[in-house]
Formats: sequence, structure tokens, C-alpha cells
Amino acid sequence: MTNNSLRKFYPWFALLGLLVGGLIVVAFYKDQFREWKDWQRAYIKQEISRAPTPEQRANPARIPVEIRQIVVTDLDRVDRCTSCHLTVDDPSYAGLHLPLAYHPNHDRHPFDKFGCTICHQGQGRATTREAAHGRVEHWDRPMLEMKYIQSACGKCHLPTDLPDAPKLVQGHDLFEKAGCIGCHKLHGIGGVIGPELDGVGANRTPEWLLTHFKNPSAVTPGSAMPPIKASDEELDALTLYVLSFTGEDLSAYYVSMKTIPGPMAGRRLFEEKGCLGCHSIGGIGGKVGPALDEVAKRHDPQWLMGHFKNPRAMSPGTVMPQFNFTEQETRALTEFLLSLVDTNLVGFLKISSSLSPIDRGKAVYKKFGCAGCHGVDGQGGVPNPNSKTAQQVPGLKFVAEGYTRDELKKRVLDGQKEIPLLDPKKPAPPLYMPGWRGKVAEGELNDLTDYLMSLLPKGEKADF
Amino acid sequence: MLKELWKDFRSTRVGGSIFRVGLPESNLERAQAAISSFLLHLQPAKVHRRVLKFRTTLGLGLISLYLFLILVGTGVLLMFYYVPATDYAYQNMKDLEFVVTAGQVLRNMHRWAAHLMVLFVVLHMCRAFYTAAYKPPREFNWVVGVTLFLLTLGLSFTGYLLPWDQLAFWAITVGTSIAGYAPLIGQKLKFLFLGGHVVGESALIRFYVLHVIVLPVAALMLIALHLWRVRKDGGLARPDEPQPTREEMTTAQLPVTKTYGLMELARGTTPAVGIRPEDEVFAWPDLIFREILLLMATLAVVLILAIFWNAPLEQIANPVHPPNPAKAPWYFLGLQELVAYSAFWGGVVVPALLVTALVALPYLDRKRRGVGVWFSRERRVAITLFSICLAAAVILTVIGTAFRGPNWAFQVPWHPLHAVEER
Repeated sequence: MTNNSLRKFYPWFALLGLLVGGLIVVAFYKDQFREWKDWQRAYIKQEISRAPTPEQRANPARIPVEIRQIVVTDLDRVDRCTSCHLTVDDPSYAGLHLPLAYHPNHDRHPFDKFGCTICHQGQGRATTREAAHGRVEHWDRPMLEMKYIQSACGKCHLPTDLPDAPKLVQGHDLFEKAGCIGCHKLHGIGGVIGPELDGVGANRTPEWLLTHFKNPSAVTPGSAMPPIKASDEELDALTLYVLSFTGEDLSAYYVSMKTIPGPMAGRRLFEEKGCLGCHSIGGIGGKVGPALDEVAKRHDPQWLMGHFKNPRAMSPGTVMPQFNFTEQETRALTEFLLSLVDTNLVGFLKISSSLSPIDRGKAVYKKFGCAGCHGVDGQGGVPNPNSKTAQQVPGLKFVAEGYTRDELKKRVLDGQKEIPLLDPKKPAPPLYMPGWRGKVAEGELNDLTDYLMSLLPKGEKADF
Repeated sequence: MLKELWKDFRSTRVGGSIFRVGLPESNLERAQAAISSFLLHLQPAKVHRRVLKFRTTLGLGLISLYLFLILVGTGVLLMFYYVPATDYAYQNMKDLEFVVTAGQVLRNMHRWAAHLMVLFVVLHMCRAFYTAAYKPPREFNWVVGVTLFLLTLGLSFTGYLLPWDQLAFWAITVGTSIAGYAPLIGQKLKFLFLGGHVVGESALIRFYVLHVIVLPVAALMLIALHLWRVRKDGGLARPDEPQPTREEMTTAQLPVTKTYGLMELARGTTPAVGIRPEDEVFAWPDLIFREILLLMATLAVVLILAIFWNAPLEQIANPVHPPNPAKAPWYFLGLQELVAYSAFWGGVVVPALLVTALVALPYLDRKRRGVGVWFSRERRVAITLFSICLAAAVILTVIGTAFRGPNWAFQVPWHPLHAVEER
């Protein structure tokens, strides 16, 4: 009786039942269809076709189709790149088409310790091509273009330790030469006019950075920053270097690369331990011990290491004291001495007490990034719209004529917030002289003053 | 053939022990089926004919219940993967998307069912209002319903934080700061929810515990009470029928062709009151069949949404980089819109008044007029007032959702404004 009244619903029942069932099948199919599986099957096919004998073909046929991943706990990363790039560690795939290709030079950065994305960026957990390469919405760090790949080296290494990353070194050199830290802080050191640079490499795209260097106000309207005058190649290198400021918190194992054996660490030790008291480099330093410029040509690294550990064991009767260097320090110092053999020594030591006051002052000028506004060697020419001094930051070549030493020091310490306006109706010039009190040491200030006073060209007169 | 199989199964020792009653053949067995089955006995063995009519309720309450069940099911499965820690939560979402079997579709189902549940609970409440289903004797069940509505919002809101992406983080930051506008207790309340002054690890674990244990259990118990009260308050609201007076109610005057159980002689607000025997139908199979159809339809809609549209997931939560504008979940955007005018009025007065009014409604509007009738003319004033409030809420929500751009500036959705970058 009642069943008859339900009969009109039977088609609905059938339809909805089929719909729900069908949808579950669709959901399951969609879930099972993953592009990495196709890549893995292609790889297995490739392996089978490469097998020379039929018996050997059985082996690749047994390769499972499954997610491959590198879990790097220390870096808090799970990189599933090898689910498609299955042959990164198989040299026989060198030069083949992606995704099946061989990754050269990974002996020093084993995959299981580093994974992939720490250098290449992208989205390690993703298993689709677009998402993994990070070219999707809501993923801020797409894969790094290969021309910028050396920036990744700078996450763990000091640029000066890296002969294998010439681009990074070039960028670092320009960064220092252009005086970026005159206005910007990096690792807590630097000026206050511009924003801090820590983490900027993670927040900005290479294109943004490059445009910014060429014409800052194009991407940051009203920016006070002067354009950086350098060749396109140099600016690319600078972009690459700045990209390395990712602000990432890497665990000790990785950042220790910055302190363990490298010529840079050796150089710092060399300065700290006062080696120049007895030894000389480039004619600078003491005469008690031998000059070290070419010591690496006379002795092999083992000898040098042994000498650092116990000088008398290598040179009986030497007066050099035993310093009790750690193994790492010993290696760093040795690396340093080795690096001297083919290093141009001019301006080598950053600020060494054995330099002349003027040379030290020049180093101070570089250290505080004065060149950022006043130009390399105080040449000036950096635009500062609406400032009375020809709408430029004044050059420093003629300070000796306008200031006494004490006035100049006071000027550096106090700075000048209010820059006289050319046209009182227009907005104030963006750049100003920050006060360096508390930042520059007294000795540094003396040296800097000596350097600035020395800039006055002989026989020339200021034209003001 | 299926029937034969079923009978064979039932005749085994195991089958017989599980299903006490076979497929009902007679009315007696239909009643027994409903009474002796745990699931089926949630509803009466016999219901009023009206209940079968789709337009009586539009199935809104049942759909809400189904969505809740879908949410419990998918939610429990998701719990097997989810870790409520700021270091892992977001990575979890990525793993669900990329490597967990059916992970993405489960998350999608959970997300869309949650949004739908908020929507359908509101619609269900509107149905109850427009058919005057809150009038005596159903006042208290209306209050239970309002509580369930608030619990639904709470469930959705606490779940919103768990993916730990930018959307989640800032929606909760905005949502909880709306709570912070309440006088005296606002800031304390916010601190209680967040376990601190900002959204962080302790907020995540609190929201998680609320989301997977406290609120669902509370909702489940109240849903049980809600359904129980529907039965005890006389079934679904329906227009009064001429009732036999007390004196008339003697067995002598009742039709002698029918055998009466004790329940059917009851008085007052009990299920059988006012139901004439000829208006009754057995729940099995008429009602059950329709309910199953509705379940399949609900499931189908959720599945379609889940298959073709992914649940949103933005960048990992970044406490120092708020999106512009930062928006609360959509069902709070009406409030956020009001807060943009006045934090006190939008954040405190209006929501407090609304909840109070909803709870007090059945105790103020008591006259049994228009019960069980859609948009009864006798309730013109009440319906107009309610509709104005509802329209205001909808309009404010739509404005807050689609017409507000960066810095909460007015925009048209087809021409969105873009935030000017700072830094």
C-alpha cells in the first residue's frame, strides 16, 4: 500500500545513487591520477630500453612507482623533487632531457643532507610540476633561475670564501664598493636611511631587485636611493648577491660553513692573533719571522698545518710560540696562506693597524658605506633632488679646504638632518647625513679624517 | 533477488542477532522496525502525513544534520594526519594535497560542508521562524536551536584557524579582535580564546581542542536533545486542528475500528495530540525513503563541490605581514562591516542584541497564530521585523565580502581595488 506512493521516487533513487557512486569513482580517479606517476613510468621504460639483455630487463620492471622524497630534518624540508627527477645521482643520464637528468657536482653537497630546495627553491612538498616549481598562486618562492643560482651559496658561505661562485663574489664586491650599508643595515650593521636588508632576498623577486638598482623610484615611488651606476653584468651580480639575504634560520651544521676552514676565516684569525707582529704580507708587518707571501710555494699544506700545531716540530729552534689553535683554526689559517699565492695583495687586509692612517681611513670609508652617497673616493655626483648643493650629495674631495680636522670629525659624528633647500617650496631632499656617533670608533674616526683630508688634489682649487 | 539474499542473511544466527526485525511486510512490522532499530527509533514509528511533504520543512534541518555527519566523518579522517602545531599544520595541508590518498578531496569536503552547514542552519532557522515553529510548546527547542546555531559558528570559526595559512591566521586575528571590543570582559575573553594576546601556538591548540572535541560533542548532545524535543513537542509544527475537548476524550467517543496504544490517548503536548489516525503514516518506508534520498542529494552536492573546487590555502601564516584587507570568515563579515563604522556598536551591541532577541523571541511572541503555515498573514508584524533584520544581515555580509577592498575601502567586485604596497 505505502510502497506504491514511493514508486515515483524510484527514478530519483536510482539517479542519485548512481550520481553519488559515480562521484566517488571520479574523486578516486582524480586522486589516483598524478603526473609524477607518468614520469616514473617513463623512467622505468627508459631503464628497460637501456638494459642490454632480456634478463636484465626484469630489474627495472621491478622498480616501484611511488613517491620519493628527501627528508632533511635539520633544514625542516621535505623535497619530493626526486619523484620526477629520478636520475639526479646517475651520471649515465648526464645531458639527457629533463626531468631525467644528472645533477653534477653534488659530491660536496650530498642530496640526503641538503635536499634540493635549499638551493633551487620552489615547493619541495609539491608533486605536480607547476606547484613544485613554485609557479602557482600563494607560493612566494618559485624556483631560482639558474643564472642566479650562486646566490644560494651565500646562504651558508661567505662570498669571500667562495672561489667557485664568482658571480656572488662580484656582487659582494659591488655591494661594498657602492657603499650600500651607508644607508642599509645588514646583519645589524649599517645605516638607517634605507630599510634593513636581512630577508629582502626572500621577499623580492630578481626582477624587482634589478629594476630597483637601476631606477629605485620605478618600483618604490619616492625612494631616496640613488641609482647604482654599474654595468648590467655587475648589477646582475649584485641582484644575485642580495638574493642571498634570505634571512633563513639555518641550523648550526649549515651556517658553520661560514666559520670553518676557509681563507676568509683564516684571514680574520690572522688579524686577530697579531701574526703581523712578526710576519709580513705584501711588505707590511714585522720582520722577526719570514714574509708569508709565498710560504705556500715553499711548503705543502701538511707542513703548514703541522707548523701551526707545533712550530718546533717543523722548524726546530724557531722562536714562534705555540698558539694551541683548534683543528679548524689550523685549517683555516692554512687555507689563508694557500690563498695568498695567487691573490692580489693590494688592499688585502681589511683594516690592519700596520697600514698607513690614510689607507686605514679609506677602509673605514668603505666599511661604513660612505661611498653610497658621497661616491667612490669621495667623488660625489649622487643626486639628491632639491638640495642646495647642486641637487647632489656633495663630494668630499675638497673638505680639507672647508673644514678643520675637528670640524670634520664633529660633522661626521653629528650628521646633518636638515639639508638646505634649493627651492623652499619643494619637498626636502631625500638624503641626509646620518650622525655616526656611537657607531664609529675614535681610532676609526681619526683615520677617516686623515683619509678625507688627503683627498684634496694637488694643484687643484675648488670651484666654489 | 536482493530481497532473497537479505532474507537468507537474516535467517542466519549472526544476521538474526544484528537485525531483530526483517524487512517489514505489515504495519506491525513497520512499527517494530522503527522502534527496534537504534537509528530508526530517533524518529517516531508513525508521523503526520504533512511530514512527508517537502514544502513543510524543505528538508533544511535534516540537511544541516547530514552536513554535520559528513563533517564528523571527514573530520575524523583528517585528524589522522593533522598535527596542531604551528611548525607542522601548514605542511600538513601540503601533504594532504600532494601525497595523502584522497587527502585533498577530504579536506575539500570538510571545508565546503562546513560553509554549507552555516548556510543551512541559518536557512533552517528562517524556516522555523517563517512557519512559526517556535511557538508554544516548542519555545525551548527554538532556544536549543539558537544554541546549535552559535555552536555551528563556533565550530566553523575554530576550524578556520587550523590550516595555519595567511587566510586562517588573519581571519582569526580579526574575528577575535571583534570579540575584544566587548566592555570589561572583551579583552579577557580574547585572551582566554587565544591563550595570549596574539594568535600563536597556544591559540592553535585551543582552537584545535575546541574544534575536535568540545564543540562537536556539545553539538552532538544538543542535536540529540533537539531531535528528542521535536518528538516530545508533538512532531513538526503544524496548524491546529479542531481538538477534542477534554470531556470528549473518552474511549467511547473514539472510533472503535482502531486499537489505541497508551500514547495515543495522551493529552497536552505529546506526540499524538491532534493527530487523527487517518493522518498518520508509518515512518518506514515513506519517511525513511525520502530521508535517504535527501542524504544522497546532500552528499552529491558536497562531493561535486569537493571534486571541482579546492579548499583555499594561501601562504603560510606570517604574523608580520597582514593581507590588506584582512577579513574575518564570511559569516562574520556583516559584523566586521559594522565594526568598520563603530567597534562598540558592531562588535558588542548588535551581536548581543541579536542573540538576546533570538533567545527571547518564543517567550515574547507566544500567541499560537499561523503555526505550521508559511508566511502566515496573521503574523505580518513579526515576519516584517524578522525579514528586515535578515535582509540587513545578508546585505551587510555581502558588502563585507565582495564590496570591501584594501583599507576597507568600497569597491565593486568586478573591479577590485589593489592594495598599495608598503615597506
